Amino acid sequence: MLEKFMESYKLLIIIPMIVVILSVGLIAFNGLNEGIELKGGSIATIKLNEPIPSPVLENQLKTALNVDEVDILNNNGNDVTLEIGTEVNPASFASALSGKGQVISYNSIGPVLSDEALGQVYWAMLFAFIFMSITVFIIFREIVPSIAIILAAASDIIIAIGGMSLFNIPLSIASVGAILMLIGYSVDTDILLTTRVLRRREGKVVDRAKEAMKTGLTMSITAIASMVVLYAVTVIFIPQASTLSNIAAVLIFGLLADILTTWFMNLGMIRWYMEWRT
Amino acid sequence: MRKRDLSQFFKDKRVILLIILILASVISISTIGIQEGLDLKGGSLLQLQLEKPVDQDTMNVVTTVLDKRLNIYGVKDVKVRASGDQIVIVEMAGVTPEEIERLIGSPGKFEARIGNESAEPALTGSDITNVDMYEITGTSWTVPFKVSPSGAQHFAEAAEGKGGEKVYMYLDGKLIDENPPTLSPELANGKGATELTVTGGANTVEEAEAQAMAVYTVLKTGTLPVKLTVIGSNTISAELGEQFLNGAIIAGLLAILVISLIIFIRYRRPILVIPIIITSVSEVLIVMGIASIIHWNIDLSAIAGLIAAVGTGVDDQIIITDEVLGKNTDNTKRRKTRTRMSVKNALFIIFASAGTLIAAMLPLAYVGFARGSSGIGTISGFAFTTIIGVLVGIFITRPAFAKFLEIFIK
Repeated sequence: MLEKFMESYKLLIIIPMIVVILSVGLIAFNGLNEGIELKGGSIATIKLNEPIPSPVLENQLKTALNVDEVDILNNNGNDVTLEIGTEVNPASFASALSGKGQVISYNSIGPVLSDEALGQVYWAMLFAFIFMSITVFIIFREIVPSIAIILAAASDIIIAIGGMSLFNIPLSIASVGAILMLIGYSVDTDILLTTRVLRRREGKVVDRAKEAMKTGLTMSITAIASMVVLYAVTVIFIPQASTLSNIAAVLIFGLLADILTTWFMNLGMIRWYMEWRT
Repeated sequence: MRKRDLSQFFKDKRVILLIILILASVISISTIGIQEGLDLKGGSLLQLQLEKPVDQDTMNVVTTVLDKRLNIYGVKDVKVRASGDQIVIVEMAGVTPEEIERLIGSPGKFEARIGNESAEPALTGSDITNVDMYEITGTSWTVPFKVSPSGAQHFAEAAEGKGGEKVYMYLDGKLIDENPPTLSPELANGKGATELTVTGGANTVEEAEAQAMAVYTVLKTGTLPVKLTVIGSNTISAELGEQFLNGAIIAGLLAILVISLIIFIRYRRPILVIPIIITSVSEVLIVMGIASIIHWNIDLSAIAGLIAAVGTGVDDQIIITDEVLGKNTDNTKRRKTRTRMSVKNALFIIFASAGTLIAAMLPLAYVGFARGSSGIGTISGFAFTTIIGVLVGIFITRPAFAKFLEIFIK
């Protein structure tokens, strides 16, 4: 079964590529929702004295604060999380509530900080990728396997960002951290596969790939399971801790993508490379 | 599990190192404690921008004045620090930013003019040498202060013959009292008096107290050399911080449970589950111990980094386990050699992926540290904790786990 699966390596490479192209399309058409750290604005968690319907609360705050954009992100009766499109002074926000509830947490980011953060986020991601690529080349000293690993990591990131776009998860400083963390998880399985298949000599290639897959899938499943737990606990017990739920969600998308990119694309490329080499 | 195996395991230098570090971490955590970040202990963080970039000396003056002001005002757990040459971060517990925004945003330029608002200043903040505690009578307040001899002389010259005229007192160009007090005749005789007072009134006792406190604080701490603007603020209540901490602990425990279950299903050997969990827990302990010693703030970002590092740690242990189990043979002598080779192979994969992860995290850590605790700076917690976690894993916990497999997995 696996031998047949491995023989059609062109198909193995094409499937993840299609998913990557779909993700790029999704990002291009659907866009990415930027978190307040990157676009500026204010986010608040309030405990209302008594429940207020979201549209009513939105209108009240728009009028009181004289702003165009107020989005209720979460309304669980008395606990409300909302986002304001512009930076609003905490004092103004507290008085806009006019005794209807108390502010549990408040975060306000001005345009100066958000513009700076956005630039730095992109630089950090670019350099992270450059450093990672250099490290992979140093380790393997072979062009094709190194490119396969880098491509797989890049594909994981693109698919994860596609997932963020699809499920409207904001691109925040936390999710950028998760995207870079994906590099770690992705490279783990890719290096495992490349080392086991290319560097070992015992047994047939298919058997080596099979063993690597067994190990790699166990790794992926444990990582996905722990992230699902983290996501579930955060959403149920501490919905205000969006830092954790965003990181968990991005890693879930990325780890699922990693199964595709490692065991289809990377395996396909290595198989093709070995055939070309002999 | 034979006695000889156990003694061989505990005599191994890697295992001894792990035990020493676990004990050191436990001692460090219980004595020094763990510094909780803003989102776990609650409190406020303000990001302030100076009107222009300044040199190190000016920045030191700014941070010192702010620190003094907040401490005098009675704000608890104040941390004021520079972030670059134009941004200052203020962290504090128990107050909301709006309470102290006027305190921080005020350069503290004090002036007193006699007779009319356009007169030359008779007194400025630089003349003040000492400020005494304010006094409140009903809804009126006074802040007594002393001036230098030269300041007293300058004031006496400006005040001569102006008894009964209004004294307009300004703080940062704003009139302190809408009904300015009149100059008492004994101060208008041309003789220098070194003891003066600022007065004011409010609608309520609480307002009077707040006004007096603000004026007292600003006069006592002197003038800020540059104007400051609040460009970002973050407030988290203590109860929410506690909720975050509890949630993170629940998530961690459940994750350990789920991982144990998956590993048990995969290998069907309870003997493998326990060391994997012990290794992961010891990794967390050692990272927390390091954080405790270097006074590193543990916040939500750091917790996420810790979870990520432990995740890659479990992955690495799975790699080692599969390498060792896949190469088991019956011949004991040969088994030991093969096991050592397997561990060596596994460690190559582990070191390679750890190196790559650290390389990917370094730019994020650098950017974070460069920014301090503002904006993207918060992510340095994530990057730094991940890097420390990975280093602890590859140099301390993974080798000890490999030794366990070498000795006990038959």
